[in-house]
Amino acid sequence: MSDGPILIVDDDAFVRTLLREMLQEQGHPLREAKNGHDALSLDGPPPRVVLLDLFMPEMSGMEALTLIRDRWPTTRVLVISSMDSERLVDEALAAGASGYITKPFHPMEIASAVERALAA
Amino acid sequence: MPEYWIGDVEGRVLGPVSLDVVQDLVNTGRLTEITRVSRDGRNWGAPAGFPEVMTLLLNAPSPDALLGSERQEAARVREQLRAMQGRPPHEIFRLDRNASVDAYRNAFFKLVKRFYPDRVRAQAHPDLRKAYADAFQFLSRLMVHIEKDLAAGVPVSPLPVVRAVPPPPQGEDEPLTPIPAPPPQMAKPLKVVPRSMTPLPRPSPLTPDPRRSLLEQTQPLRTSPLGAPPAEGPYSYQPHEFVGFERRDDRVEVTIRVTARNSRMFTDHPLANLKADGFFLACAKSLPLGTLVDVIFRFDEEKREVRSRGRVILENTGGDPTRPTGFGVRFITLVDQDRRFMLKFVEKTAAH
Repeated sequence: MSDGPILIVDDDAFVRTLLREMLQEQGHPLREAKNGHDALSLDGPPPRVVLLDLFMPEMSGMEALTLIRDRWPTTRVLVISSMDSERLVDEALAAGASGYITKPFHPMEIASAVERALAA
Repeated sequence: MPEYWIGDVEGRVLGPVSLDVVQDLVNTGRLTEITRVSRDGRNWGAPAGFPEVMTLLLNAPSPDALLGSERQEAARVREQLRAMQGRPPHEIFRLDRNASVDAYRNAFFKLVKRFYPDRVRAQAHPDLRKAYADAFQFLSRLMVHIEKDLAAGVPVSPLPVVRAVPPPPQGEDEPLTPIPAPPPQMAKPLKVVPRSMTPLPRPSPLTPDPRRSLLEQTQPLRTSPLGAPPAEGPYSYQPHEFVGFERRDDRVEVTIRVTARNSRMFTDHPLANLKADGFFLACAKSLPLGTLVDVIFRFDEEKREVRSRGRVILENTGGDPTRPTGFGVRFITLVDQDRRFMLKFVEKTAAH
């Protein structure tokens, strides 16, 4: 578990690139997936933290969240979304998310949230 | 609680969520087009088959109602900003007087996003855009100020008031500036092949340019176009530092093959150039001010691709014969190492 990567799941290649650039500076091993299906089919050690978009093709982020929590119970999932409805935040947290970051995000905010998730 | 899955035109899916969440997202304009709905995530139907969802869509605020509520929101934001100015920072962020820098940062991120300039829709009332920009700038400057105080080991002090927030506009029924027309809906990404640029007359960088966008008019240019970038502090909280906002309905993708011949797109224009975090694309097509642009620069010889996002900050559709037609873009996001690569490329091509 300690050598697991941080997994970025977002259908927007641009956002994935930016998150990768931000997190590479912290020296974390990283993996990427463009949707929930791809994320759940990844081999290797379980991710320590997943950065998960909510609005994605094929499988919604909420569904992916549930399946990720089932498959990797100790993995912390941080939801990243531009959908900043308070009720949606509540529902994502109730579904097992460890945190909810609204877009747009600041690199420092991502770094800080990931460090907190890793330390938890 | 009833659960719903909803899909949009791009095939993206959100769900399961409650109808309350759908209502929130529709009413705030986060969800403008629902193309399909499901109650189990497997069996889908048109929204018309779900009267409770249709009711939400039909009751979504009309454009006029939205503009009205945006003006009211602008007044509320201005009032909030007045109330914040001069108050101790820990009170603004609802923290303990001796809060850590991390606590300040977390509180700042939560608060400032409410005023992020891109949160307002493209056709939003100009008063609201201005109010958001002012509030965002105030909080950003405050946060930099807090960082400096804490780094120096001194108690956090209020931000010196530079200027008061202007009073609400006279004549409540008249907008301050014309409401911008909605951006074009483009079904396909725009592929633009730039042509070579002719040298431009260089106006003084201090001369106001009437074509500067509303956002620019509310903020100073980050750099003097002909000078070096300003010294950056250790931290920055400007809007362009924030990334990842999704607004796909008015975004255009531009792919540019960069060669030594057309690399002057990064240097020639006095306002839209690489040192000012932008470029000017001389081409027959133009894009309206404010359009979000996803740019892919292809450096074939270097076998490198640079992706960035920007916003159109100026355009010339032929009205100014002294300048090439086309549009200028200011980067919202450009990864540092890509910027360095591009600067090096420009230097190298200029040297030949």
